[in-house]
Amino acid sequence: MSRFAEPMARLIEELKKLPGIGGKSAQRLAFHILRSSDDDAEALASAVRDLKAQLRLCSICNNITDVDPCSYCTNPTRNHRLVCVVEEPTNIAAIEKTKHFNGVYHVLHGTISPLHGVGPEHLRISNLTRRVDAGEVDEVILATNPTIEGEATASYLADALKKLRVKVTRIATGVPAGSDIEYTDEVTMHKAIEGRREL
Amino acid sequence: MALKESEAIVLRTYPMREADLLVTLFTRLDGKVRGVARSAKKSRRRFGGALEPLTLVRAVYEDRERQELTRLDSCEVMDSPLTRQMTYPRLVALGHVAELLDEVLPDREANDALFRLTVSVLGALRGPEIWMPLTYFELWLTRLTGFLPDLSACVECGLDLEGEPAFYHALADGLMCVDHKRLASSRLSVDSRRWAVQMFRAPVAALSAEPWPKSVGEDLRKFLMQIVQRHLEKKLTTQPMLAKLD
Ligand SMILES: [Zn+2]
Ligand SMILES: [Zn+2]
Repeated sequence: MSRFAEPMARLIEELKKLPGIGGKSAQRLAFHILRSSDDDAEALASAVRDLKAQLRLCSICNNITDVDPCSYCTNPTRNHRLVCVVEEPTNIAAIEKTKHFNGVYHVLHGTISPLHGVGPEHLRISNLTRRVDAGEVDEVILATNPTIEGEATASYLADALKKLRVKVTRIATGVPAGSDIEYTDEVTMHKAIEGRREL
Repeated sequence: MALKESEAIVLRTYPMREADLLVTLFTRLDGKVRGVARSAKKSRRRFGGALEPLTLVRAVYEDRERQELTRLDSCEVMDSPLTRQMTYPRLVALGHVAELLDEVLPDREANDALFRLTVSVLGALRGPEIWMPLTYFELWLTRLTGFLPDLSACVECGLDLEGEPAFYHALADGLMCVDHKRLASSRLSVDSRRWAVQMFRAPVAALSAEPWPKSVGEDLRKFLMQIVQRHLEKKLTTQPMLAKLD
């Protein structure tokens, strides 16, 4: 038996499903919502509802968007022949921060992951290969993470895309800018030497 | 709290709370150990690429034998799978090794022979060839965990199977001769049994010279994984993914 009234217990249960929220935090949040005004509680509820109702995946690039195609895919000032492939929608923000990338994106929503039973057939790539196959793309930049799963996913995509005769590149990995190579771990250092460029 | 240092192989990591990672390690000193790597998710500086699965590391962790979770203090890379090209088949092969170890190893029980086997097989898995090292690993893992039946005689009548046809079945405890095979048994070829004998005599590095297509030893791997899955009473996630590879 729960020691809370049913609506309270239910809200706590739902909050506990959120990442980083344990039982104690869920209780704290639930009581905060209970004490807040009706308007605030309603605003929270409708924000959650609208998120699911109004957001969808862009049919061209799989980015999360409220309009389809998304704002990147419809922006006429961007280079639509240069496509950067990322694992998650949140990775786009990291690349946009540089203000130096003017191409468009393709979001995979994950990587190949044998331990989770995720194979290449589960990746969202059909709309990417369609774009490339239609001759709409000059270069695909693979910007998956430099983890074993990200590297294997990049390698798999490179093989698949090269068959469609498109230039495929991989982002460089190496020593972080402004750091000291003395404190760089050996894997990063190895990659940095491997990916060296001529000056 | 006192710290312990051991060679270890990273098996899996899971995100935990905001910034931490829960890491399963196969340590040489203590067998399978689970520990929390604080801030490893947010800041890569502390652990770098050391927590990628199948990395051989020198791990330093708190000596908390009676607690389920330890705290991982540091991990220094000794050998990383990322220094060689990571292809999809190689990722599945490495994932299979990690899954098998994670499933068969009990918590906190050192197994030096299995540790040395894993290190040598990971060495053989640096290149593009995966089927020979995987067969070698599955064979030895099955033997070192005590699951492997005698491959030389019929489990029912004791007949010497050298040069004779041999059969296996998901519900039988060993190989069977032609007279004692069950309905819907599968055949374990003479060639595969000879490979097994050779693999018990030679280190994996000595067998790497010959090319090994997937078809070589395929029946042996199927036989071995049937045994392991029966003991674990569960299906392995990586098994169907391996089957789909060329
Ligand atoms: Zn889009
Ligand atoms: Zn018999």
